[in-house]
Order: sequence, then C-alpha cells, then structure tokens
Amino acid sequence: MPILGFIFQRVLQAIFVLIAVTLFISYAIRLTGDPAVMMLRESANVTPEDLARIREGLGLNQPFYVQYWEFISGFVTGDLGVSFFRGPIGPIVSDALGATLLLALTSLAVSLLISIPLGIYAARNRGSFGDQVIRIFSLAGLSFPNFWLGIMLILIFSVTLRWLPASGLQGPASLIMPAVTIGVILTSTNLRIVRTTMLDTLSAQFIMVARAKGLSERSVIYKHALRNSSIALVTYLGLQFGSLMGGLVVVELVFNWPGMGTLAIEAISQRDYPILQTVISILALMIVAVNLVVDFLYMALDPRIRLE
Amino acid sequence: MMKLTRMLLAATALTVVALPAVASGTLTIAQRQDPQNWDPVDTFILAWGGIASNIYDGLIRRDESLKLQPGLAESWEVLDDGMRIRFMLRDGVTFHNGEPFDAEAVKYTFDRLLGEQGAQGPQQSNYTTIDRVEIVDENTIDMFMAQPDPVILTKLSGYGAMIVPPDYIEEMGEEHFNLNPVGTGPFKFVSYSQGVQIELEANPDYFEGSPELDGVVFRFIQEDSTRLAELQSGSVDILNNVAYSAIPTVEADDNLKIVSVPGPTIYSLALKSVEPALTSDVNVRRALNMAVDKQALIDAFLGGRGTPISQLQGEMSFGYVPDLEGYPYDPEQARALLQKAGVAPGTKMTIDYRSGNSTFNEVVQAMSGFFSNVGLDVGLNPMEDAVFLNEIVPQGRTNEMFQFNWGGWTFDFDNTAYLSYRDGEKWNPYGTSEEMNRLLVEGREVSDVAERESILQDIARLAHEEAYHIPLYVEDQIYAISDRVQNFTPAPDIRLRLVDVSVTD
Amino acid sequence: MNGFRSFEFIAGAILIALTGGAVLLSPWLFPDGGTQMNLAARLTPPFTNVAYPLGTDPLGRDILARMVVGGQVSFLVGIVSAIGAVVIGTVVGLFAGYYRGPWDMFLMRFADIQLALPFILLAMTVIAIIGPGLDRIILLMIVAQWVQYARLIRGSVLSLREAEYVQAAQSYGLSDWRILFVHILPNAMGPLIILGTLNVANNILLESSLTFLGLGIDPLIPSWGGMLADGRNYIQTAPWVTIFPGLAIMLTVLGLNLLGDWLRDRLDPLGHTR
Repeated sequence: MPILGFIFQRVLQAIFVLIAVTLFISYAIRLTGDPAVMMLRESANVTPEDLARIREGLGLNQPFYVQYWEFISGFVTGDLGVSFFRGPIGPIVSDALGATLLLALTSLAVSLLISIPLGIYAARNRGSFGDQVIRIFSLAGLSFPNFWLGIMLILIFSVTLRWLPASGLQGPASLIMPAVTIGVILTSTNLRIVRTTMLDTLSAQFIMVARAKGLSERSVIYKHALRNSSIALVTYLGLQFGSLMGGLVVVELVFNWPGMGTLAIEAISQRDYPILQTVISILALMIVAVNLVVDFLYMALDPRIRLE
Repeated sequence: MMKLTRMLLAATALTVVALPAVASGTLTIAQRQDPQNWDPVDTFILAWGGIASNIYDGLIRRDESLKLQPGLAESWEVLDDGMRIRFMLRDGVTFHNGEPFDAEAVKYTFDRLLGEQGAQGPQQSNYTTIDRVEIVDENTIDMFMAQPDPVILTKLSGYGAMIVPPDYIEEMGEEHFNLNPVGTGPFKFVSYSQGVQIELEANPDYFEGSPELDGVVFRFIQEDSTRLAELQSGSVDILNNVAYSAIPTVEADDNLKIVSVPGPTIYSLALKSVEPALTSDVNVRRALNMAVDKQALIDAFLGGRGTPISQLQGEMSFGYVPDLEGYPYDPEQARALLQKAGVAPGTKMTIDYRSGNSTFNEVVQAMSGFFSNVGLDVGLNPMEDAVFLNEIVPQGRTNEMFQFNWGGWTFDFDNTAYLSYRDGEKWNPYGTSEEMNRLLVEGREVSDVAERESILQDIARLAHEEAYHIPLYVEDQIYAISDRVQNFTPAPDIRLRLVDVSVTD
Repeated sequence: MNGFRSFEFIAGAILIALTGGAVLLSPWLFPDGGTQMNLAARLTPPFTNVAYPLGTDPLGRDILARMVVGGQVSFLVGIVSAIGAVVIGTVVGLFAGYYRGPWDMFLMRFADIQLALPFILLAMTVIAIIGPGLDRIILLMIVAQWVQYARLIRGSVLSLREAEYVQAAQSYGLSDWRILFVHILPNAMGPLIILGTLNVANNILLESSLTFLGLGIDPLIPSWGGMLADGRNYIQTAPWVTIFPGLAIMLTVLGLNLLGDWLRDRLDPLGHTR
C-alpha cells in the first residue's frame, strides 16, 4: 500500500531531522563557552586546576561524540540526565513544559474561539464596514512587537488598574495577560486564514451544486466551507508551531512565566549544556511531531491532495 | 501521551488551585535570581546568601556592621603562628531534623568541602588554605592550615563553610540534600518550587532565640518592572534587588520606602595598559579619569545612591586610604593631557562591558558622552557574560577600556588588589609593575594587622598613580520595603538577617 | 476593490511614506543622529518642552530624533535581510525545482531542520558563539529565512517547467540558464515580491526582539528595539520612552503588511503565497 510507504518515508525524514537538529545544537552550544568559568566567576583565586577539576566532574573532557551519545541515548529512553547547575533535569523540564503548553494551548483555544466566528462573518459580509474593520484589526494585531504589547498590558492592568497579577504562574488570573499577548497575534493570523479560505470556498463550484440540491445555506457553509478552512488552519498551525514557540520565549520573559522559554534563556546564559540540549530537543520533537500529524491529517481531510 | 496528559493536568491544577493565602506573620521577599540549589558546597551565585544564611550557620558570622561574631563556634584561638585554630563549639544546638550539632558535624562539613564532593563545586577553591579539621572532643575542633591565612576567619563566615548535617546527607543522599536543605539556622526549609519560590518556616529552637516571624517566602521574579508591581500591589513585602529607575516610584508611594546602606561592590573601567593601545600611556589613562563626572553618573543613574571612589574599594574595606583624592572632574585638563600625549581629537576607542546590567549599560553610554566631550570617539561593545569572562578578559583581547566590577565581600582589599594587580591573574591580563607585584606578595606574607593595612594602602596609592583603572563608584545596597515590615536593618553584604524582623497587618 | 484606490493601498502607502520618508530624511532632519546626551534633562515628559517634543530618554536624548534615526537600523536590517534571503532562496529554489535531485533533497531537509529550531533560541545560541553586531544579525536572518523563498520558487518552477513554452525552449536547445532566468523566473516573481514585502515587516519585528533580548548592537546607535530595551525599566516612571518606539514599529509594520496584502490581492489571487 503506497500510503504505508509514504508514512514510513515521512517518519524516516522526521527522525533524520531530529538527529540533525540535536547534533547541531549539542555541537553549537559547546562552542559558546566554558561552564566551568561561569561557575567560578565570582571566586577569586581560580587556578587552571580548579577549572580542569570542574570540567571533569561535568564530563566535558570526553570527546564530543561520547557526550552526544550519552545525551541522545538518555533522551530517547526517557533519562534526561542531570543539569550542570541544578538537579535532575526531568522534573525541571516537565514543569516548564507544562507551563508553556498551558500558555500555548490556552492562547490557541481562545484565538480559535474568536477567529472562527469572526472570520466566517467577515467572509459572508465581504466588503461591508464590519469586514473592513475586522481586516484592519487583524492586520494591526500582527504588527505589534509581542513583548511591547505584553509590557503595555502589564502597565495598564497590573500597575495602573491593579486588576491582574503582574507575573508568574499564580492562579487563573495570571494566565490572562500572557495568553492575550500571544493570543492577539494568533487570532489575527487565524482570522485572516479563516476569512480567506471561507471566501475561496464560498465561490467554489461545489457549493453552488450543494445549494442547487436544496440544502439550507447554513449547512452549506458550516459543513463544506468549514472543512476547507480547517484544512488550511491545520496546515498553517503546523508550520507556525515553530515560530509560536519562538514567540513564547520573549513573552515568557516579560511575564516571568516559568516555561521552556525562560528555561532556555537561562541555560544559554549559564552555558548549562544539558538543559539547553534537552529543551531544544523537546521543542524540535514537538514541532516535527506536529508537522507529521498535520501532514497525515491533511491527507485524511482532503483526499484530493497528495503531498509529493 | 500519558505523560503529556499528566503534565497538562498538573499545570492546570497549579493554576486553578491558587497559592494558599499567605499567613499573617509571614514575610514575602522578591529577588531576581533563583540560586537553584541549596548545597553550600555547590553554590556560586551571590544571591544564594540572602536566603541560605537563614537556613544554615557557619562557625563564625558577621553582624550588620560586618564585624566577626561567634556563630556556631563560641570562641576560638589562633595558635602555632596561624597554622592551627582551635574552635570551642556551642553546646546544645540541633539541626532542623533533630540531629545534634557537634564536632563530628564540623569535621564532616570540612572533609566534604575539601574532598571529593567539594571538588565538583566552585566553593572549594576559596578554602584551599585549610589542610584538615580534627576532633579534639565533642565540643572542640582543631583546624590545621596548609599555610597561614589572615582572612580565614572572614572566609569561615562565607557560603562554602556553612555547617551541614552528616546523618541527614548520608541517609537521604546528596541530590535530596541539594533540593531539601537542612541546617541549624533560624528558619527551616518547607518547600521549593524551582524558578518560582522557596518557603521557610521559623525554627523555634534557634540558639539565638526564636524568630519573630512565623515564616518567610522568597519569590524569584526576573523582570524588574514585574517585581516592582508585586511590591506595589502588596503581594510582596521586600524587594531584594531594586532597579534604580524604580526608586522614585517607591518613594512616591506612601506605603513603601527605600532603605539603603553602602555596599562593597565597586564599579570601574579597567584600562589596557600595553601597546598598541593608546591607553598604554599613563597620561592618557589619567586624562580618561579626569574626563568623567562620577557624581553626575551617580545622581543620574543610581538615584544618588552611591559614592564616588578613588580606589578599587569602599570606605568599609580594610586597606582603604581615607585621604586619597581621586582625579578631579576636569575636562580641560583632560584635553590638555591628551594633546600632550599626542592623541588627536576624533580618535576612536571602545569600551567592552557585560550586557546584563541595565544600569551599567546607561552608565557607559553616559561615559561615552563624557569622552566625546574631550574629543574622543568612544564606541560601546556589550557582550554576554560568558564571552566576556571566558575569553575576552583572560586572553587579553579587550579594547582600550573594559568593565571591572567586583563585590568585595570580604571587605578586605587584599582580595580585590591581588585579582586586579598581580601579574598572571585573570583580571590583570596586561600586567602591572615589579613594585606592585612585590607589594602584593609582601602583603600576603605579613600577619601583623597594622603592617598589612599599611601595605594595602601603599598598593592603593600606587594603583592610583598609575591609573590602571577608572574607579567609578560603590553602589548602595538598596531594599524597597512596605510599611508592613518592622525592624528590618539592611546590611552591606547580601545576607538578610531576619531573626528580629516582624510584620504587622 | 483592487485598484490603487483601495483602502489598503492608500493606508499602507501613507504609513510607509511617513515612516520611510522620515527615516530617509533623517540625516538632514536630525544631523546629530539623536546621540546628544543631556543628563540634566533626562526623562523629560513629552509635549512639555519644545526642544524635546516627544520627551527624552534615560540619558537625556531626544526621543523624536532617536525614533526617526533609529528607523534606519530597522529598515536596513529588514530590507537587507529580505534581499539577501530572496537572492539566495531564488537561486536554490530555481535549481531545486528545475533539476530536482540532490538540490531538491538538500532544500527540503534544510527546510525541515530549520523549521524545527525556533529562531530566537537559535539566534541566541549562535550569537553566543559569533558575537553580537548588526552584520551578524542580518546574516542570521538571511540564513533563517532564505528557505521560504526557495520553497516558493521551487513550487512555481515545478508547475512552470511543464508549461508549453518551456518545453518548446528546451526542444530548441536553449541552455538551462537561459530557460531558468529568462523564461521561468519572471513568471515566479509575483509571489516573491509579496513575500519579500511581508518579510521586511517580519524582520523589523524580529530585529527589535533580538535587540530587546540584549543580543544587540552598540547601544549608542539608535534603533527601535534598543529604545524599547532602554525604556524597559522606566515603564512606570517614564512610559513614553517605550510607547513611542513601539508605535513606530507598529505603524511601519502595519504599513508594510497593508501593502503586502494589497500586492497579494493583485498578484496572487489564488493564494500560492499562503
């Protein structure tokens, strides 16, 4: 069955990509500087022996392929190892991942809740004043620097109005501002996608045919057109998952959200190789997995299309 | 997939169950950094001390005016020309887990620090002058030195020498101890959530008396503006790191105030004193010193909370030269000196500095403005800590000027001076002079206090003559506190002494 | 409404004319480049002093001047990165689409790999290795972005190479280069231009993020991201330091997005560029 072959090929590609990414990042971070020096930076009488001693304790004097092998074999079996500066990586990363996913998924859910109805409305009433307003706002929403938006929100809602907590993971209220910051951009992009694909579909032949068959307009729209929109949305989400993760980094910093982004930034500045490798590998794994799922879903949702 | 679902559920639960309302009698402190581990032997982060000095004690401690006081050792004698120190230990003290504090615990602590466990951490290199510790009897130990160390008593109040519980570590293991510290201090560990907070509760059996507070929570908040917002909204009582830009806001708020005390951290620019840099000429170095209006920098960027310095140490440092007047702010003379040295107007120079500190970022920008006033075109080169500390400085690849700040936590000039002026030290990649090196070595061989002070002062004067640095200022140690807090006395070292502090509602 | 009278074109063009025009004229409008410091006048509020219409920053520099001059960096980075990425991406995409084989494999795998690495983290790591600087940032952005142009061109080439006139050209024995650059490329230009425009917008946002994170450039050089970073600590006491550069970014990016959208409506109604 050609489909099995296709799936197999895709999975192989995914594995290749993951290996390339993890190899690259493991190598790259070892070029950035010496964690032993970072550790001893506030100490006075540091001798080369001290540095060598610490490096040995961290396993840094082994050849690169040995270090990489230790990391990657541990990673695939679930043993994430120990960080240079903190304790075991497993709990650290799973907490951070939970926080990031919470933020990402909440923003996503809210954005879909807003963008789908609004996008449909805009498409049905193309050219109207409401449509224009929606289009302008969605473009504007894409144009903010996200960290600036976050800071403005803090300024208004935390500092001036005292309605919301300014930082951290502290209860549902603290989720609002970070989710809105990311959500604005997500909503804007999704709005545009929904609107455009709805417009495309509404003018397509088979809708006319469906109407001719006498189905009510409502069911025409919501069944056929929505399905096409969801294809586009899903494809787009898959592609943009990576940049969503990237955007999260800065927003997490601004809101002191204890997620993967904050973790990665700290790891880079401290040269904590194990944590950075793990974080980026997990992110890459998620992105590749999401894209794989998107590819398969795409095939399932629209049998007319076969990815080459 | 299951793991993912579990993680999601856990995270959701975290948000849905709001953090329990903080009991009255609990003090909440916010600071920038999470020290991330609690083992005294592994820590290299300054921010560790503020929290951990409430969990652990050392043999010796320093009070708010930084004088040495008995800690877990009631008294001590320096014997055998400084090669042996006998400590008489306090009786009847227990660790938080009930284990008794005795000579065994002290020996265990130092064996650990100087042995294999310590070898993996950064603290050991501070204590290499100690050879070994031996038990004399249950309440007495002898510390044998590998060489006499005039500063050892101060170092014993430091992070690495905090006394740890042998039975607890042996039983629970190093990893557990790292995240669940047990000590003899006024507060006991309750819980730690990495990157979020650590919670402590009062230790009623503390040997100096039970603390006034019921408990303390330290929250870790990286963003300056967020930290401030939390203080203003009342979720936090004390800010341990206050951005200077926040000072006016705090002072304008009726419920808050600033308390400060001069700190030991000096800020300066080190000058590249070898060719082909133009700063190899001492006149150029002196000119640079005269081009900068230090008081203006302090007023603009530190909110006035700092003191200009003429030497790489503050007033409270041992070895301070009280009458050493720095180079005056005199752009005219600076221009003249530059001309004499043959430096044409428009000459380019660069300042290398660490990009993490936003205040210093502003300071160097302003300094560039001062330098352009005397005809120099000075650019800025910010870099990451790791790059700066790892490569640029030790390998002598800096530009004409580079940042040097040092927290002189020992309050003894010997430490800073050696680092900055001794040939071969990391912070001195360009070398100084024979005379300077001679003085430095001499200073370490002498044990008479008055003589040491005199040598250190000579070093400071010589450094000023040669203008190896542009010493800028010492910062005040600033805290922002809400009026809920009573009896908080700030100290110049980062430690927070919380035994006598209480909160009202 | 597709013509030049459409709202998008007019609004976008006005915004870009304003921001871009001001930036272009900046050497004459503000000859000192917004670098004049005045510690005594630091943090002056806007609209209170004629000499500093939008107020001053923490070092007493005129915000209006810095904003206008600072646009130079943003536009420079945005445009140069976009051009570099377009050029490289076009070449690789043309070869990948036309010749298939190893070119194609390389492109697709590189695209996958690059997709899996969030740009900001990659940027932080790489800059930790090679050091900060405007040229480094531009280089990084080109490397991160050429792939999307390549894929686009590849897609166009794949469909175009089957077209009749290409087959005809091949049967006449025209060299591959001629076919590629004279016959195929012009037809694939439309989507390129659209993507390029939108990318300049995105690059401006990215550059400001990177500078904000401290991966930046000499802080004496005005840049929008740098101004946002400067003002971060003064949100409460002097919010104007952050508000105005943020607005500048927003308006510029919005203008570019509007133009890009309009271009898309005209040049690529079928949606190949999504």
